Amino acid sequence: MQHSEPFSFTIVITGAPYSSQAPQTALGFAKAALASGHRIDRIFLYGDGVHVASSLSSPPSDESHWPREWSQLLQAHNIPGIVCIASALRRGIVDEGEQKRYELSAHNIRPPFIIAGLGEWVESGLRSSRVIYFHGGSRA
Amino acid sequence: MSTLIIIDSAPYGDWSGREGLDMAFSLAAFDQSVTLLFIGAGVNWLRKGQSPEGISQKSVEKNLSAAPIFGVEALLADGRDCQTYGLTEDELIASVSQVELGPELLNQYKHTVFAG
Repeated sequence: MQHSEPFSFTIVITGAPYSSQAPQTALGFAKAALASGHRIDRIFLYGDGVHVASSLSSPPSDESHWPREWSQLLQAHNIPGIVCIASALRRGIVDEGEQKRYELSAHNIRPPFIIAGLGEWVESGLRSSRVIYFHGGSRA
Repeated sequence: MSTLIIIDSAPYGDWSGREGLDMAFSLAAFDQSVTLLFIGAGVNWLRKGQSPEGISQKSVEKNLSAAPIFGVEALLADGRDCQTYGLTEDELIASVSQVELGPELLNQYKHTVFAG
């Protein structure tokens, strides 16, 4: 395929791993985009998508480990992984700062993901040439 | 840049619509042009007199009524879906405009976002 100019993508994932196909489909898209010479500005996890950033996911060893695969891709290509703070706190995805603030018993965010606000997503709309959404799609 | 956020699921059954509203209010807070469109069962978000206290949830009616004040440019509802759910104009919260969902409408926006 011929491209006159590479795109810059922001990928938004709102479906949880193991509940939906969204994180896996998004990963396939990200790999294909990078392989075609496009840039990925950031990954933004929103809603149930925040579970991709859990460091506690432990699927059986003969199943794909989507959170780990996402971390590896982000690290290999130096892509920022942003987790929406409001979505994350509701669902128990916590970094060290939020653990202290809410006096919680643990933190569980998987590097290189970091917690930030919706402002990061707003900026994506301004900066990236495309913002692509991967939803859980459980509704008809 | 203008963004259309589309909410297509009924209120209170899951958090996706609520988190879609957060996206709209966030864009407005950063002075970005944003419009909310409710389609399918999502039109029920716009029904007057919601009282979800019985299921320990907060009503979003006040937030939605205040959306224009917070900078959301318009609250739109698919007119045909309002009819399907028996929502007449006086049963909708104030400042909702009924529209026809189609390419003409969608072409007015640079970004279109479905709430999860």
